[in-house]
Amino acid sequence: MAETKKFTCIGCPMGCPLQLVHEGNKIHEVSGYECNRGAKYAQQEFTEPRRAMSTTVAISGARWERLPVKVAGTVHKKKVLDAARKIHALRVEAPVKAGQVLLADLMGEKGVNVIACRTMARVASAQEKAST
Amino acid sequence: MLGRLEKDYDVVVVGGGPAGMGAALGAREAGAEKVLILDREPDPGGILLQCIHSGFGLHYFKEELSGPEYAERFLAKVVDRDVDVVADCYVSGIAVDSDGSKRVRVMSAKDGVRTVQARSVVLCMGCRERTRGAIRIPGGRPSGVLTAGLAQKLVNMKGQLPGRRVVILGSGDIGLIMARRLRLEGCEVMGVYEILPYTNGLTRNVVQCLDDFGVPLHLSTTVTYIHGRDRLEKVTVSPVDERLRPDLKRSKDIPCDTLLLSIGLIPENELSQSLGIQLDAATAGPQVSSTMETSMPGVFACGNVLHVHDLVDFVTNESLLAGRFAGEKAQGIRRPADNIRTVPGDNVGYVVPHRLSPEREHTLYMRCKKAMKPCRIRVGNLLEKKLRFVVPAEMIMLKIKPDILEKFQGDSLRVDIVPDGGKESNGNG
Repeated sequence: MAETKKFTCIGCPMGCPLQLVHEGNKIHEVSGYECNRGAKYAQQEFTEPRRAMSTTVAISGARWERLPVKVAGTVHKKKVLDAARKIHALRVEAPVKAGQVLLADLMGEKGVNVIACRTMARVASAQEKAST
Repeated sequence: MLGRLEKDYDVVVVGGGPAGMGAALGAREAGAEKVLILDREPDPGGILLQCIHSGFGLHYFKEELSGPEYAERFLAKVVDRDVDVVADCYVSGIAVDSDGSKRVRVMSAKDGVRTVQARSVVLCMGCRERTRGAIRIPGGRPSGVLTAGLAQKLVNMKGQLPGRRVVILGSGDIGLIMARRLRLEGCEVMGVYEILPYTNGLTRNVVQCLDDFGVPLHLSTTVTYIHGRDRLEKVTVSPVDERLRPDLKRSKDIPCDTLLLSIGLIPENELSQSLGIQLDAATAGPQVSSTMETSMPGVFACGNVLHVHDLVDFVTNESLLAGRFAGEKAQGIRRPADNIRTVPGDNVGYVVPHRLSPEREHTLYMRCKKAMKPCRIRVGNLLEKKLRFVVPAEMIMLKIKPDILEKFQGDSLRVDIVPDGGKESNGNG
């Protein structure tokens, strides 16, 4: 039996309300879009919704306590929270260079790496300063 | 060079965010030899450093970057062009001498108070956030009530969570992005409340920051009471009518320990005001000529201190331009004065710049007052452009070629946004 799924297109601020009619995994029809991006987006969201991810990890020896990181590639929408937990378990020591791979093949997916988004120099801590 | 502060500069840029870095680069490209950026944070980069999400740079770098990446790439360009960058300092005043040169007073813990000379100054101070006081929410004064951008800095840079159970007031992009951010960090986000009947954020953020994480968005609803003595315990939320008056009889209480406010930005123009610079009531930023020069000759402005932008790429473009003209002016290059005033007309909140010259191409930046689709932008009787839609959350840009302005006879040019196929009205103000 045919069923309908609703999406809001994110292609632009217009936010077209999309309807996708499907039977099981088979897409019958997409409607509601004003440009082709809408049709593509609904199909992608139906077959495999994936998301870009950014978060931070703990860093020691730097000026700030957190290092911004991003996932190169995308993560399945349903696995985003699990992926966040995995990334948050990382501990990093300064110095770090932007683009450095901190964790390879996140959630077992080849090439989905966690990379540093900021270069952070090593800064002498208060203790280190006191001892010199 | 980082950390160097000399006595004399062609161009001094106040603020080291995206606008400041763009302005410094623009000034160098225009041939200004000595350019200085002053920033109050320990690292230049401004708000970009706490905006860890992606979506920056699509226009300028043709690549989707996170905020820190965009900042780092830009800072590398700035340092590469021999711009002096001094962080951890504060500009406490600017004086203008009778010969037009500027004295910029710089305070820092390291060097105390020092004065640097500048031929041109570019104001790039950005915005600060509106706080609880701006909308006068009644109730107690417990801890746990803070602005969304401050929470963003605490979480993303200092590794401090503001609380565990969060209510967000205001559906601008910062509020939406913080909802997702706090969900990723394991917080409970009780809901986002918006007083207006529509969201102020991008659709993409509503979908990916709220819907994906099951965070409810409540439109036409606001926070009407804050409960708690030492720590926030709950907030009262109430629906509002079409005139935005809350209906207290239909209120309910939402338990929470944190209330994030994402209720708008205020351009930081104290320095501009101390110089007696004329401001625009609609943007709360300086009025500028087509060279981004304020009413004080030799003082320029760009970025969020001029008007609030949605995309950093547009800040960069505007700042490169402001920096270029500031650099030219510092070298004694004069441009013909602008002779056409821009006037916001039907459904136009503001237009920047405020004056134009037929001498060269311009980009008009504007915002509509209310959503409209489809529609036409009409610039006097010179130019018409069809648009599929306009929304207040998205800035509109319009390029105007010099040959169009050359035909123009009047001294003020009205800009209207009208429904497509709608009624005609007088184009010229």
